[in-house]
Amino acid sequence: MIRFEEFDKAWPDGTLALGNINLEIPRGQFCVVLGPSGAGKSTLLRAVNGLIKPTRGRVMINGAELNISSQRLLRQQVAMIHQHFNLTTRMSVANNVLAGLLPVVSTARALSGWFRPEHRAKACRMLEEVGLAPEHLKRRAGDLSGGQQQRVGVARAFMLNPQIVLADEPVASLDPKISRDILSLIRDAAREHHTTVVCSLHQTDLAREFGDRIVGLRDGAIVFDGAPAEFTDACIHSLYSGAQWETPSEHSDAASTHLTLAHA
Amino acid sequence: MTNKPIPVPAPGTPLSWHLPHPYSTRHLLVVIVLLALLLLTGHRTEMDRMVIMTTQAVGQLLGLSSDSQVVRGLSRVGQSMWPPAITEMEEVNRLPELDRDRLPMFSYVEKRQQTEQRMNLETLQLEAQTETIEVLVKPVGYLWTVFVKMLETLEIAIWGTLLAVLLSAPLAYLAASNYSPRRWTYTLARGTVSFLRSMPELIVALFLVLAYGFGPIAGVLALGLHAAGFLGKFYAEDIENADKKPQEALEAIGAGKLKTLCYGVLPQVVPQYVAYTAYILDRNLRMATVVGLVGAGGIGQELKGRFDMFQYDHVATILIAIFLFVFALDQLSARIRAKLI
Ligand SMILES: Nc1ncnc2c1ncn2[C@@H]1O[C@H](COP(=O)(O)OP(=O)(O)O)[C@@H](O)[C@H]1O
Ligand SMILES: [Mg+2]
Repeated sequence: MIRFEEFDKAWPDGTLALGNINLEIPRGQFCVVLGPSGAGKSTLLRAVNGLIKPTRGRVMINGAELNISSQRLLRQQVAMIHQHFNLTTRMSVANNVLAGLLPVVSTARALSGWFRPEHRAKACRMLEEVGLAPEHLKRRAGDLSGGQQQRVGVARAFMLNPQIVLADEPVASLDPKISRDILSLIRDAAREHHTTVVCSLHQTDLAREFGDRIVGLRDGAIVFDGAPAEFTDACIHSLYSGAQWETPSEHSDAASTHLTLAHA
Repeated sequence: MTNKPIPVPAPGTPLSWHLPHPYSTRHLLVVIVLLALLLLTGHRTEMDRMVIMTTQAVGQLLGLSSDSQVVRGLSRVGQSMWPPAITEMEEVNRLPELDRDRLPMFSYVEKRQQTEQRMNLETLQLEAQTETIEVLVKPVGYLWTVFVKMLETLEIAIWGTLLAVLLSAPLAYLAASNYSPRRWTYTLARGTVSFLRSMPELIVALFLVLAYGFGPIAGVLALGLHAAGFLGKFYAEDIENADKKPQEALEAIGAGKLKTLCYGVLPQVVPQYVAYTAYILDRNLRMATVVGLVGAGGIGQELKGRFDMFQYDHVATILIAIFLFVFALDQLSARIRAKLI
């Protein structure tokens, strides 16, 4: 479970990337963070693993506060999938996936590349699950297509059986068909391991299709929070144009529902 | 969009700005000062004498002038350099260990007449004395000596490069601002790298010969230390400039700095690292022929010894060997490069 409590993030130049965020994401949920570019989606996600420190408020993970001292251990349970895949392009696919284990592998093993047999087996299994073939193992990650690279990214993310997966625009640089494949992969893997997913997107159709819940973000504030069914075309319009809307208030996640608009 | 008209001044308005000439008296003054400086330093480095002597030499070669110091000096050395030494001769009575029944391969013993000016102790006058001495002749002995020394040179270069790589790896880690554990380790590593790079190999070798004695140790250390400075700086800069994306991915899961470096940075910078190391090997191969001049082993040491004993025929053999060596290496590295790229 992830909980943002009165979370603020201001950049040194004065931009308020996130303002007074209160949000609770229960275990196992596929939560889509939707919003236009610059809304603060990346900032919100990166606060969950401490890549971004709050200016005010805090982030709780399973009841423990994320701070400098707890961060090292908590990060092992929080995997991340990136928009630009962030693979080590000149390294083999196998090593890129094994790199997902680095926090729990001894330095000697990591430096020598001599991973345990069960870790190697796990890497193969993950790569199979994301739909890659044995001949990809030795291939350089940079030589794969974008969709294949993101599959490697997904495999790497699930290597440590994470409780939480943060996916920051995982399909923003992929075409629609492959985007659906990748999102299905993430959703299925997450269901299997009962993993919480926080996934930022900017395509509303994908958000409706894959999200258990949609959090609409605009200018650093939550302007919509509800089930995909409640996310009407009017909501889309206002999310991207700034107009106000009325939201029915009968959805399930009552605890963390925000019906307010960022700027009234 | 609104269309603004281009402002045209009314006719007869005096122009308030103008375009000056590209240079003024100030520039002229600077040029004069620079010329004066050039003349002064040119005189201090005897460039005027150089021009005169070279002109004389060219004049003599063209049959225009009668005498030239340069041509005289060169031709004297040139004559004593030809033919290059190939055989090696040693007086038998200086070889007490020699077993006449089992001579070294290809060698034979020969009697030679040797004329020497000796002081007659009774008359106190110089007298020419002819004596017959036995010498052990190795027909290609000197070629073999040069070959062995060349091999030693190659080994010095390779070990110098190895040492440089080993030393620069930790230096680069500490000298990369985004991986150095502390501010002071960064400053210290950067300082060390600059210091090592600023020390010319020959001068370092000169001092190391004092510490380790004549021989290849000083050569290897001198080459290795200097190159470690070079590699440390360039390795570190590549770490700093490496693509941040894979590093961020590993940082996000808490992989730790050393593992992030190994899995997020090093694979990405391998091509540059190979290029720098190849350059250093190339440079060390050339430098290794030179550090021997101060006694740090290799062919240079042999060259210096023969030069100091005015044995220019031996010097000629060495120079030819060095030329062939460097030429062969150039061919080899060009071929390897063509294959890698
Ligand atoms: N390192 C930074 N320094 C200053 N401002 C930043 C930085 N990163 C992001 N921002 C600003 O914070 C806001 C939110 O950014 P981000 O979370 O990246 O948006 P999104 O991911 O939704 O496109 C933007 O206005 C952006 O310009
Ligand atoms: Mg973003």
